[in-house]
Amino acid sequence: MDIRKVKKLIEMLEDSNLNEIEIKEGEESVKLVKAGSNLSQTLVAQPAVQLPEENSISKEESQKVEKDSKSEETKKSSGKEIKSPMVGTFYGAPNPGAETFVKVGDTVNEGDVLCIIEAMKMMNEVKADFSGTIIEIIPEDAEPVEFGQTLFILN
Amino acid sequence: MFDKILIANRGEIALRVLKACKEMGIKSVAVYSEPDKELKHVKMADEAICIGPAQSNKSYLNIPALISACEVSGADAVHPGVGFLAENDHFAEQVVASGYTFIGPDPESIRIMGNKISAKEMATSAGLQCVPGSGRVSATNRETLNIASTIGYPLLIKAAAGGGGKGIKIVREESELLSSMRITQQEALNSFGSDEIYLEKFIENPRHIEVQVIADNFGNALHFFERDCSIQRKNQKIIEEAPAWDLNETKKEELFKLCINCLKKMKYKGVGTFEFLYKDDEFYFIEMNTRLQVEHTVTEMITNTDLVKLQIETASGQELELKQNDIKKYGHAIECRINAEDPETFIPSPGKVTEYDPPGGIGIRVDSHLYAGYTVSPYYDALIAKICAFSFDRKSAIKRMSFALEEFFVDGISTNKDLQEIIMKEPNFFEGDISINYLKDVLNIN
Repeated sequence: MDIRKVKKLIEMLEDSNLNEIEIKEGEESVKLVKAGSNLSQTLVAQPAVQLPEENSISKEESQKVEKDSKSEETKKSSGKEIKSPMVGTFYGAPNPGAETFVKVGDTVNEGDVLCIIEAMKMMNEVKADFSGTIIEIIPEDAEPVEFGQTLFILN
Repeated sequence: MFDKILIANRGEIALRVLKACKEMGIKSVAVYSEPDKELKHVKMADEAICIGPAQSNKSYLNIPALISACEVSGADAVHPGVGFLAENDHFAEQVVASGYTFIGPDPESIRIMGNKISAKEMATSAGLQCVPGSGRVSATNRETLNIASTIGYPLLIKAAAGGGGKGIKIVREESELLSSMRITQQEALNSFGSDEIYLEKFIENPRHIEVQVIADNFGNALHFFERDCSIQRKNQKIIEEAPAWDLNETKKEELFKLCINCLKKMKYKGVGTFEFLYKDDEFYFIEMNTRLQVEHTVTEMITNTDLVKLQIETASGQELELKQNDIKKYGHAIECRINAEDPETFIPSPGKVTEYDPPGGIGIRVDSHLYAGYTVSPYYDALIAKICAFSFDRKSAIKRMSFALEEFFVDGISTNKDLQEIIMKEPNFFEGDISINYLKDVLNIN
């Protein structure tokens, strides 16, 4: 399952009045449910939902992706966000196998290194520009991130 | 053929490239700055990546961000579009060094033609006539006054690293020369990063004629005839036509041959445009643009070709199957550029487009990224639409354009639509009596 395709579906659900979107293609299907919605109302998406041609819903069982507090699209955890200063690949640890720079619950000071964003074979450290406690780490290790994407939420 | 192309640009040209990708079954990656999230092509691309904030130097001119976007998206080629990094040899080099294909010529070709002095040397070596002028000059050099006298007044001071009509200053008398040179050198340093300047004879009321070319990686080179882009404001084109009427046919055919000769000499790859001033049956080379042009549209209309597809095909290593004899022209096409600007002051007019009704019907083509609800931001150039009219000859194309402009409606921003309508109805323009000073001389617009 391509995480980015699912993210796009999440965005589309966000922007619409629907509570649920379920998309079936042959054997595979994806179902998205808005957080806090009445699950007894199941609305099945009509072909009006446009997916890119190359949408590769992989040949695994249908997955249900819930918009819960792990999703970056809604402001679930309140706190100050640290956003990506560049486009690249997110790494939570200084090298593969090493301990991550920070964990949820850690207190960080201004200037502490939180993660690395790699681009063009160069490792760029992302530092905290304020102090706080880490409530959430959004991207997974080795996940591509965009400029402006939320990486950490601190309080 | 490429699997995935990253479109390193924005606005209507990015949409144009996206269309070609879609038709060719090539996956597309749109990169955008934060305010450009709602761009039409961003919504329609297969993938979209935010690469930076509004400022161009942190987004569309940000080479590491663009290369990084290639990495995370797995694109195998980059289309630089028009402007931004399209003629930046460093960018081309880094794209290639990072393992991607740059859809354009080799960095060396971009370098040679990017510097106006070396461009003229290359053109001359290929047999093209240049505007009489100098090599590099300096305000502090004693020879400069002599060089200028040989060229004769009035003359132009031009920035070697300039382009797109910028970095040009006119000097009418020797007494003004050195101070104007000092000013131009400083401006050039600020705008283009280089204070290299040269002098050129000022040709009175020429027309601006350019030749569309393409070459593949196998040494084949073709032309797609010429365009007339004389109607300009402050050296920025606002109307372009294909073909150019009433040129000396013999000299024109000779010109085409010499352009092809130059392409082969340079081992040029990709699309390009040779630009000339035309006066009294003579063509004078001024510069070459080593990229797709905004006005490629009118050439496409009279030759019934898709230049963007050809550009992508040749970049991917396909040999040009077309032979020069296969390329035929028919009829006449005009393009009016629509800018988001105040009709009187020409100050950019950003804002939310509340209504957008483009013209349509027989012989009309509109290239635009506008839609009702889209907000034109203040950070980038003002071009928001290109309206093209095609018909069997120039005068009927002008009439067709006139009505198309009437039909065209945009609300929420100001545009130069009215000025375009005035020009279409103006008798001198209708008769083809124009030059690059048309707006100033005939309509008194500076």
